[in-house]
Amino acid sequence: PRGGGAQGRHCRPTPTLVSVTVRGPRFRRLKIGAGHRLDVKASGVFVLGIGHGNKLLTDLYNCHLTKVYTVGGLFGKATDDFSDTGKLVEKTTFDHITREKLERILAVIQGTNHKALLMHSNIDMKTQEAYELAVKGLIRPMGKSPPIITAIRCLQLALPEFQLEIHCLHETQQYLRKIVHEIGLELKSSAVCTQVRRIRDGVFTVDDALLRTQWNLQSIQNAIWDCQLKVKRELEKTLG
Amino acid sequence: RGLAKPAGPRSVRQLREAEEATPVFQYAGKAAKRKDRVFVWGFCYSGALGVPSFVKPDVGWKKPRRIQPTPYRLETEEKVGPGAAAVLSRQGTVSTGDPPLSVPVNLGRFLLSALKDGYEYVLEPSPIPLPLEKPQQTRVLQVSCGRAHSLILTDSEGVFTMGNNSYGQCGRKVVEDETYSESHLIHQLKEFDSRVVQVVCGQDHSLFRTKKGTVYACGWGADGQTGLGHYNITSVPTKLRGDIAGVNIIQVSSYGDCCLAVSDEGDVFGWGNSEYLQFASVTETTQVNVPRHLPFKIGKIKEAACGGTGNIVLTEEGNVFVWGYGILGKGPNLTETAVPEMIPPSLFGWSDFNPDIRVAHVRCGLSQFAALTNRGELFVWGKNLRGCLGTGRMEDQYFPWRVTVPGEVVDVACGVDHMVSMVKSFT
Repeated sequence: PRGGGAQGRHCRPTPTLVSVTVRGPRFRRLKIGAGHRLDVKASGVFVLGIGHGNKLLTDLYNCHLTKVYTVGGLFGKATDDFSDTGKLVEKTTFDHITREKLERILAVIQGTNHKALLMHSNIDMKTQEAYELAVKGLIRPMGKSPPIITAIRCLQLALPEFQLEIHCLHETQQYLRKIVHEIGLELKSSAVCTQVRRIRDGVFTVDDALLRTQWNLQSIQNAIWDCQLKVKRELEKTLG
Repeated sequence: RGLAKPAGPRSVRQLREAEEATPVFQYAGKAAKRKDRVFVWGFCYSGALGVPSFVKPDVGWKKPRRIQPTPYRLETEEKVGPGAAAVLSRQGTVSTGDPPLSVPVNLGRFLLSALKDGYEYVLEPSPIPLPLEKPQQTRVLQVSCGRAHSLILTDSEGVFTMGNNSYGQCGRKVVEDETYSESHLIHQLKEFDSRVVQVVCGQDHSLFRTKKGTVYACGWGADGQTGLGHYNITSVPTKLRGDIAGVNIIQVSSYGDCCLAVSDEGDVFGWGNSEYLQFASVTETTQVNVPRHLPFKIGKIKEAACGGTGNIVLTEEGNVFVWGYGILGKGPNLTETAVPEMIPPSLFGWSDFNPDIRVAHVRCGLSQFAALTNRGELFVWGKNLRGCLGTGRMEDQYFPWRVTVPGEVVDVACGVDHMVSMVKSFT
């Protein structure tokens, strides 16, 4: 009914249409940038920057921090794209594989990658400064480089399945699957990768990450607030 | 009309059946053993690497190779035994093998050979017949080479020496005007107080360590390296006194004119040349001709190795200490020190992620050092003379650097300009 209209809002309910007037800023366009890539078959921590956070994304990229993955593999099969959903190429036996042999292969992978770390860091090896950094373990490539694994270890081995924890730099998930395939070849068998899960990306761990059910405004705001201090401290430490 | 269906995308059941029907290949059985391999690298023209095609190519497209900068696998017909240790000389490589009768020997230049025809260069591992009484039972335990002579240790027939004897380093009387270049005289030494368990050659002198822990020496002594209290030559192996009299020595090492000995209680004794501050912590003189105890407070010492100008020791905890002159492994600023300096374990791969990596063995070349970890990795540093470090580059290495070898390195021996390693394959 008409009359007695208060100032401000008008609300005229009709059986077919309700119109509501709202105040406040409108989210028309939102700049969202993605951090390091994560492909379709992998899962885990994926860093996004919103609005002004995109500038921090570039700075974090230039810090060249390591990422940690949990990689699950299966012995006995070899496929064309190194994962268990690909076309089968060959089947092999795997009962000769022991934990000791796997650890030996992993130690060698770590050793050659450590050497690659020192070589791609573009520091002249003949200086005293290079020696001091090498002692502290602070030499790392601060520019473009091929994928390097800084640490790798076996979390569990229950034939035919096994799980590895890999710390790496400048890698792609397909490269990690290729590493699993090559470990299989080195052990005179074959292996495919069943799972790639990123559990840490620089300073962001699984505990900071939001689940699918938490993709709402309040949780996102809280998450950004909690991580701000960590990110600032890391950027100051690395980029000076 | 036929009853064949058109080929569409295969269903999950069809894929699973096809997968189960594929044959399973076996590349290695459960009892597959790890194979022993030998890798060599360094200067090729002396023939010390044992690969004739580096010096004289057998196929038209191959070119002679002056330097092999990275590890190269040496293929031998005979199996190199698991207890084999390759010991290198100045320019030659000598390795022990399974057949006790002949010692597969690859001699380089200047190593005046004991072969019938007296070759000047021997480019391939060739057997040397030893005058053994019981050829089927006696086994060759260890071999050592000096500048121009070598010593072969057997388990029951004493020590055989061959080569240059102009200073009595072969343990027999010096014959004037003897020509050594085509001689195949092998002398046998048996007069020691107990069985000899280690033989070491310095440049022109020889050291023998017996089971009782005593050390005998013979050869050139102008720098006091025979440790017998005088600076003359000795042509008969004589027992050493001084600070090691009565001490049970468990390891002796020498390369140039400086010698080190480690006792079972973890003390280190030294004698010989001290021009490069090797013994400057105990004496000002540059020649020490009686064994002196080196009172270093670095812990119980397990192993020691002498290089040309620097020395390296390994303690029980797995720490590595270096002293002397040259590229010692602590950066370009440290060129000489009289007191042992520790090389930080983080350079050998130790970190919070791998806290149980330890150095297991240390070896020395003329101006290079090598360290083996318990994970089977080989680290080298020092002067990169003609590519002997095996890093792939020609520059000197001022701190320990990993050598990529496709296998677990069990032992390594360093010569003047090349290295040989005994490697076990991974699986």
